[in-house]
Amino acid sequence: MVKEKTFAFFLGCIMPNRYPGIESSTKFMMEKLGYTILPMERASCCPAPGVFRSFNKVDWMVAAARNICIAEQMDTDIITVCNGCFGTLQEVDHHLKENEDHKVLVNEKLKKLGDYEYKGSINVRHAAEVLGYEVGPWGIEEFLVRKVKARVAIHYGCHLLKPVSVRGLDSAEKPSMLEDFLEPLGAESVDFVEKYTCCGAGGGVKAFDGNASMTIFEEKMKNIDAVKPDFILSPCPFCHLQFETGQDWLNKNKGTNYDYPVIHLSQLVAYCMGMDQKQTGLQFQMMGKDYIFQSEEIKQEEEVS
Amino acid sequence: MSDSEQSEEQNREFKTDEDFDPEFFRNIERKSKIFSCIQCGTCTASCESGKWTALKTRNIIRKVCLGDLTVLKDPDIWLCTTCFACWERCPRNIQPTGVIMELRNYATKLGNISPNHRAVVGYLGNTGHAVPINDITKERRKELGLDELPPTLFKYKTEGEGKELENFKEFMFDLPPVKEEKKPKKKEEKK
Repeated sequence: MVKEKTFAFFLGCIMPNRYPGIESSTKFMMEKLGYTILPMERASCCPAPGVFRSFNKVDWMVAAARNICIAEQMDTDIITVCNGCFGTLQEVDHHLKENEDHKVLVNEKLKKLGDYEYKGSINVRHAAEVLGYEVGPWGIEEFLVRKVKARVAIHYGCHLLKPVSVRGLDSAEKPSMLEDFLEPLGAESVDFVEKYTCCGAGGGVKAFDGNASMTIFEEKMKNIDAVKPDFILSPCPFCHLQFETGQDWLNKNKGTNYDYPVIHLSQLVAYCMGMDQKQTGLQFQMMGKDYIFQSEEIKQEEEVS
Repeated sequence: MSDSEQSEEQNREFKTDEDFDPEFFRNIERKSKIFSCIQCGTCTASCESGKWTALKTRNIIRKVCLGDLTVLKDPDIWLCTTCFACWERCPRNIQPTGVIMELRNYATKLGNISPNHRAVVGYLGNTGHAVPINDITKERRKELGLDELPPTLFKYKTEGEGKELENFKEFMFDLPPVKEEKKPKKKEEKK
């Protein structure tokens, strides 16, 4: 049996190595919500679902299974705040639970990496899904210290919801998980054209052909700019990185003047639950450095149980 | 005929019988039922990359059905962002995203992999991360009250217990050697 209300925190690459603010926010948020967050020692890259799966699918499964094994040895479910990590770990876990042949194959190769054996005893969760369905918009209210006043452009990212047959979380064409959850936080979701499309970073395209990636992103950004949100919110550090570096690239190469803050779901929720804006690490980001959350205190922090 | 047209004519690639092998993609067919493709074009129409780039998913699926091996040299297969839009919408449930990723696996085996992607594999082998840490992030981590290094494989390498990372490098994602640069558009010799 896995431990209740306890998660092994899978870090991945971009969050700990580029946006530590998301990491500190996630820890703060989950602990305030009453979960225990354990570090996953010796975890590696998930490895990224677009790039490494494209090179060698078997090795991709083996490396992912190794990460899952670390959590299995801890007897806890995995939590991640990255769509890419979720995409890889959840998909491999799902696949190996159903496919006995591949499980044997993967376990055979796992021996070479160390003392690991994939059993399939845990689940992989994304923080967005834990917030959206377990804590829920009905349960978050009691934890809130303040509400923000903001018009938010929500970007789901691709691998959180798709493929729907594997994830089974929400519709891919018109999801409402994040919109519903953010309502009690005071964030008003604004609709824009092609809201559910890709940011253009995934699948190794950002590394393979940066210009192509930026062309896809340029359209996305134009659509977001048309509705003038206060900030862009995403549950994925890779989309986060694309939105940050992308705005910078467009400003330098296409004569635009974008300065939209990019905020991870964890950062917003942690802020609303009483974390200092400074601790969310927004001041370290490239875009929207001067942005200060417009918020309204609803109760003193000490009162929060 | 202008000069540019002439050189284009000289460099044009013609497909020959050698470029086709109906058996080659048998494995993909077994997983994806690709012969049930009706070439409706929903994949191309849904494609968020193909809207701006040369990626034409329907065309790629057709080539795989025909056993056209030139698709493995086609750089367009690397323009898919794996957004799964075509996967969700395909009326025959062929899972085009999955097919493209299988093709990339074959292409990689043939050495058709970009230098940037090779570099990413290098990062993974050396640090356990596709995006390794840098000094400025270490500083910021400390400022935010986090450990300077996250508790990942990389940390244990610097603490002198790097054997797992060595194993990782040795057994994972072995890529074929870099091909010698050939003149562009010239057909490569078969073995």
